[in-house]
Amino acid sequence: MTEIPSLQVLLQLTVNGILGGAMYGVAAVGLSLIFGTMRLIFLAQGAMIILAAYFVRALFQGLGIDPFLSLPIVITVGAGVGWLIYQGLFRRAAAMEDRNVSLLIAVGLMFLVQNLMTVIWGGNTAGVVTSYTASGIGAFGIRMSFTRSIGFLIAIAGTALVMLFLKKTLVGKAVRAASEDMTSAALLGISPHRVNAIAFSIGLALAGAAGVAVATTFPFNPFAGFVFSLKALVALAIGGIGNVAGALAGGIILGLIEAYVQYFISGGWTNAFGYGVFLLVLMLKPEGLFSRPYKKA
Amino acid sequence: MANRLLEVSNLSVAYGDVRALWGVSIHVDQGTIVAIVGANGAGKSTLLRAISGIVRAQEGEIKLSDNSLVGRPPEDIARLGIAHVPEGRGLFRHMTVLENLELGAFQPKARPRLREGIDKAYALFPRLKERAHQKAGSLSGGEQQMLAIARAVMSDPALLILDEPSLGLSPLVVRQMFTLIQTLHSQGVTILLVEQNIHQALKVADYGFVLKTGEVAMQGTGRDLLANPEIQKAYMGVLE
Repeated sequence: MTEIPSLQVLLQLTVNGILGGAMYGVAAVGLSLIFGTMRLIFLAQGAMIILAAYFVRALFQGLGIDPFLSLPIVITVGAGVGWLIYQGLFRRAAAMEDRNVSLLIAVGLMFLVQNLMTVIWGGNTAGVVTSYTASGIGAFGIRMSFTRSIGFLIAIAGTALVMLFLKKTLVGKAVRAASEDMTSAALLGISPHRVNAIAFSIGLALAGAAGVAVATTFPFNPFAGFVFSLKALVALAIGGIGNVAGALAGGIILGLIEAYVQYFISGGWTNAFGYGVFLLVLMLKPEGLFSRPYKKA
Repeated sequence: MANRLLEVSNLSVAYGDVRALWGVSIHVDQGTIVAIVGANGAGKSTLLRAISGIVRAQEGEIKLSDNSLVGRPPEDIARLGIAHVPEGRGLFRHMTVLENLELGAFQPKARPRLREGIDKAYALFPRLKERAHQKAGSLSGGEQQMLAIARAVMSDPALLILDEPSLGLSPLVVRQMFTLIQTLHSQGVTILLVEQNIHQALKVADYGFVLKTGEVAMQGTGRDLLANPEIQKAYMGVLE
């Protein structure tokens, strides 16, 4: 790469990175919430996103519901599924001292969902093509895909709503309190099972939102979810665990890194750089780029 | 006889193979201050943790009024009316003072009184009002203890449990703390107090229990225990 890229190219890369990264971000926000209360890395999050994408496709192909208009349905179903997953799979394990049990359940769930999707929809790449899939918005010589832009807005809105919930409602405050100190929260009458179930509901509602964004922008297959989980994990590490806005920002940073590396180095190196940054952040600033190390009073 | 609020009978607790409490029986009457005193490692905190459900009892019975507490999770016990300020205060350090107070009224029955409770807390602790929007972790040790107690009484508990409220505080602040405990008592709050500051604790207490290696070694009114030469020799002789 000897040529110097034009400003326009740089801007285009930046826009692509931000739009793509927001999707990692919204997946990371879900991971962050679940990790907060349960100290569990919910590795099945990516698989659930892909499951949601298939659900969006089924609604579109089967019932003719526009993918973006299906958002309320997908989010609601996601929240319900999250509640059921917690009550059915994690409730007992959550009470155990050993976190590995929960982690193994998450891994098992991931494989189960992947394989169920393969059985039901086949292992080939699927996609949702609408009349507007190929359309874009242009300004100053930069082109933004319409579907990616909407996906970005969904990610921002989803994150903002979660933040509002956590900051402004008493139940949201209870979730934050439980994330900080579960025993103290329980001593105030806050039920650990309830906050865990809430975290799971919101986490999977966000997976639903991400599923809509994925379905409308990327071709996907049943096994694409694991990479998504990994990227969300990277975004989470960059942004700082327990920091919702940071998780979104971490996703966007990862998206930018990928966009630049892909252009300036090569597509094959994008993941290597992404995971390299992951390790670097964990080594040098394990609390995340956006969390101040806590000062003792 | 006064109204029995809390009755712990024959309670035994073990951490793995290590027994921390051996057949402990204590009681707290409505409207009183009861102090549990003893040396480090005597099992004082374990007793409180068993009452509020953080640790499980192996044997024995714990009753709050007519409700048995054994086997219930902490959040249920909190809802039955026990507010436990744990050792180390248990504040949410990354959350604001006001948010900590609000969470004190999380229980459904306390929620309607949330606003009123916060006003009451501010009246009792003007410093908390000044610092309402600061992070709890940024407060001084004394202010943190005040916040922890203010948060605990937000739920208007039947029984307030305080684990070492004077720990790590300067002598002046310790005196304020005990004044506060008496103020709450005069407002009708029943208090169960664990302290290493034996002299101060027995001075404010109506009744006291001395724990020694997991057993009740002595009990009596605060005044009697304070006057007891054995206690003076064992716990206060050298240090006070």
